[in-house]
Amino acid sequence: MKVALLGVGGCGTRLVDQFVRTEHRTGRSVTNGNVLAFHTESQPLSQTTALSTDQHILLGDTHPAVLRRDTNSPATDSPNSSHDPQLQSETSTTTSKQGASSNSRTREYDINEYGVGGDPDVGAQVAKAERPEIRRALDKIDETEVAATMIVAGLGGGTGAGVGSVLLEELTDIYETEVYTLGVLPADTESDQRALTAARGLRTLVPRAASTLLVDNDSWSRDRDAVADCYQSINQMTVDRLLSVFGAGEANTTFESELRIDPADISRTLAVGGVTTVGRATVEIDSNAHGLLARILRLLGRSQPSGSTPVDASKIKTLISRAVQSKLTLPCEITSADRVLLILSGPPDTISRKGFETGRYLLEEETQTVEVLAGDEPIQNTTELTATVVLANVTSVPQIDELQRRAVPTEDAVTTTSGPSTTTEQTATTDEMNTQTVEPSADADSTSAEFDFTNAETASETTDSTEQ
Amino acid sequence: MKLATIGVGNAGSKLIDQMIEFEFETGRNLCRHALVINTARTDLAKPQQLDEDRRVLIGDTHQKARGHGVGGDAKIGAEVAQTDIDEIRRVFDDVEIHEVDAVLVAAGLGGGTGSGAAPVVIDELQKMYDEPVYGLGVLPGTYEGGRPALNAARSLQSFVNKVDNFIAFDNDAWRSRGQTIEQGYEEMNEELATRIVTLLAAGEVDESEVGENAMDSSDIMRTLDTGGVSSIGYASTDVTPAKEGLLANFKEVDDSQSESTDAAKIKGLVRRATNSRLTVPCDVSSADRALIVFAGPPDVISRKGVESAREWLEQEADTVDVLAGDDPRPDSSTLAAVVLLSNVTDTPRINEIQDQAVDAQNKIQEQDAVREEEIQSLITDDDNDLDPIV
Ligand SMILES: Nc1nc2c(ncn2[C@@H]2O[C@H](COP(=O)(O)OP(=O)(O)OP(=O)(O)O)[C@@H](O)[C@H]2O)c(=O)[nH]1
Ligand SMILES: Nc1nc2c(ncn2[C@@H]2O[C@H](COP(=O)(O)OP(=O)(O)O)[C@@H](O)[C@H]2O)c(=O)[nH]1
Ligand SMILES: [Mg+2]
Ligand SMILES: [Mg+2]
Repeated sequence: MKVALLGVGGCGTRLVDQFVRTEHRTGRSVTNGNVLAFHTESQPLSQTTALSTDQHILLGDTHPAVLRRDTNSPATDSPNSSHDPQLQSETSTTTSKQGASSNSRTREYDINEYGVGGDPDVGAQVAKAERPEIRRALDKIDETEVAATMIVAGLGGGTGAGVGSVLLEELTDIYETEVYTLGVLPADTESDQRALTAARGLRTLVPRAASTLLVDNDSWSRDRDAVADCYQSINQMTVDRLLSVFGAGEANTTFESELRIDPADISRTLAVGGVTTVGRATVEIDSNAHGLLARILRLLGRSQPSGSTPVDASKIKTLISRAVQSKLTLPCEITSADRVLLILSGPPDTISRKGFETGRYLLEEETQTVEVLAGDEPIQNTTELTATVVLANVTSVPQIDELQRRAVPTEDAVTTTSGPSTTTEQTATTDEMNTQTVEPSADADSTSAEFDFTNAETASETTDSTEQ
Repeated sequence: MKLATIGVGNAGSKLIDQMIEFEFETGRNLCRHALVINTARTDLAKPQQLDEDRRVLIGDTHQKARGHGVGGDAKIGAEVAQTDIDEIRRVFDDVEIHEVDAVLVAAGLGGGTGSGAAPVVIDELQKMYDEPVYGLGVLPGTYEGGRPALNAARSLQSFVNKVDNFIAFDNDAWRSRGQTIEQGYEEMNEELATRIVTLLAAGEVDESEVGENAMDSSDIMRTLDTGGVSSIGYASTDVTPAKEGLLANFKEVDDSQSESTDAAKIKGLVRRATNSRLTVPCDVSSADRALIVFAGPPDVISRKGVESAREWLEQEADTVDVLAGDDPRPDSSTLAAVVLLSNVTDTPRINEIQDQAVDAQNKIQEQDAVREEEIQSLITDDDNDLDPIV
């Protein structure tokens, strides 16, 4: 399925960049270059390696609350340099702390001042104010070339959730095709403000998106103190799974698939809306039995229907079972799934009919839904068999409950301590927001600065997505 | 018989393709016209025996299909066929319907395109032509799960109501150990093509050569005239070409003894065909009418054998309506017997699919009923305190 990807915020930018890089490396083609990255801060955009500058859309130049990292070089960061840098810093800090109530000061490390400073309401204002600019950028996407569009964003981010929400509104208005969201949920160690933003983001995005695929940073970060250190591996896991799903049926192969995954299979699975999660498992196959020899025998017409040796039926069933029991992008109660999609990819002559069928049936039993679509994807030159399972509209998700539990007191604190100027009623006028002055501090823990793009390429090879 | 054939959806198209390949390999001439219809551009490229202009993409302007398939949604399959019916009719304009005896529409009933679109196409054909329209439908296996069973149960109803006869093929009956998915479908399609073509291609031999024992197209059509669901059995045996082989010599030596062994062989063959895997398992005695085609060198088809085989089948099928005849193929090195059991009413697999479908339908309705509410409650905190962003 061809999909246009629109990264929003630091997280979204990194994810789409990684996606395109992985497309190049694996030869899979999902986006056809239909990729954009929107941000209110320039640095994460400039750190991308697979996107060209005309795919970078820097927003917020006209918004007084948006703080630029390097105000001395407006030419690179901001084509519109006429406004007062001092004003920017003052206002941004004011609003950025809206969610960071006094009881969570210690967790503020994960938000820096730049861009919208973590404030989704400012993010939304920026995007609304710059709709023309956003529309112009969207002209670079060829809607006729893709079957769907996906907004990719960290839902705890001010830009991700704020700009993402407005962008989704815009896209669902102008596009006939489906618009999905891929959202990253903040970890438990991230600030309450992140939790609040994400919980509000879900309320905004889920009802409007055709489906919202979620990745839970908490379940996927190993070191509980430094989620940012895990971005690279989480992003690779995310990209690998997205490619397994949307790349199915897009590979150029001379082998015909008997039960090909059509774009309609994917969109029908996701059509129920709600929240979607993805599992995956891989198994090495014995390359001798299935490789050259088997192929030569087939060419010679020697392999009897029962003579060639597909991977054991039970091995395939186990693989499918492992995929649905694996650590999902967002852990959930799997029986709450509404629809399920199974993609089995590997060398075409290895997929046992019986294993495939019993595995699919097992999914029906384990997820307790009869809406299970399944397909195979023949891939040449691989010694791996991969099962990817999409669970659409899962409704029992502990991590979402947890985010809401943290968000409610945070929002209460915000509304009681900071008054009306900090909430959704905020307007974009300078006067109203210029109420407090806090020194902007260059945040050394800035997540984007820490992220090492050059390592991502090599490290990605070792990322294993078949935990458990 | 001469047929116009239409494959709808992935399975249906592959079946028509396989039928053409088989008739080509065996020097038969059954499918005078062939057409495949699909909602997925990629699946439409699969058949190898059809020209480009014999492939019809439907639903490419439909918002949910757009040339990408229908995702197993038979409702959309039916919808797009309805919308694009003019296009389908236009391709059918080329068909000189008077040159064929009947139309055959093939589809897999577990998917969305075949199960949804084929009944719409059949409706149209029945309106356009007086010729009978037969259905050839693949029933999904148990392990394909609830949704395919539901699609199949619904589609089967439409098919049987609309066609003059529905020939069923049960994917479950044709599993064998150690198959890959690819081999599985390939084998099944070959088996099915062999049966259907051997049966329906009978009656097409040169009039001058036809003996009184030759099967006629009208015999086959009469047998299919019952409506309902039919099943096909098949068995074959190697025979040495008559002119040079052992049999010819043997015959000269002792004609009468050879005659009786041949007769026993013929009856054994029919018995094997009937008791072997039928395209859809059924209680043979529930058949309304039956017919046997013997395809092979005429001189190995013993008249006595044919008659005793026919009588045996009369007993088995518990009907007096049993026809038997030859499809003389002088150069063939095999003798095949195809048994058509028309309007069989006791088919356990169809009952199973219907049960599976009812369960599936209930589950789907339950899910539909709570969907929006569950999504709302997932994204809303307990006291509904959180505001959306926009
Ligand atoms: N998995 C993953 N999560 C990320 C990544 N970058 C940020 N996040 C998460 O996304 C949320 C913050 O989103 P960002 O995209 O950094 O923020 P933003 O939208 O750019 O805007 P600000 O909130 O102003 O920084 C936090 O929950 C982070 O943990 C990433 O590369 N990978
Ligand atoms: N016998 C047989 N069955 C098939 C084949 N391909 C698909 N099926 C079955 O057909 C059903 C799916 O229908 P399909 O034609 O693929 O979907 P459609 O294109 O949406 O109509 C399932 O029950 C499959 O098991 C095939 O080549 N042979
Ligand atoms: Mg359920
Ligand atoms: Mg299909």
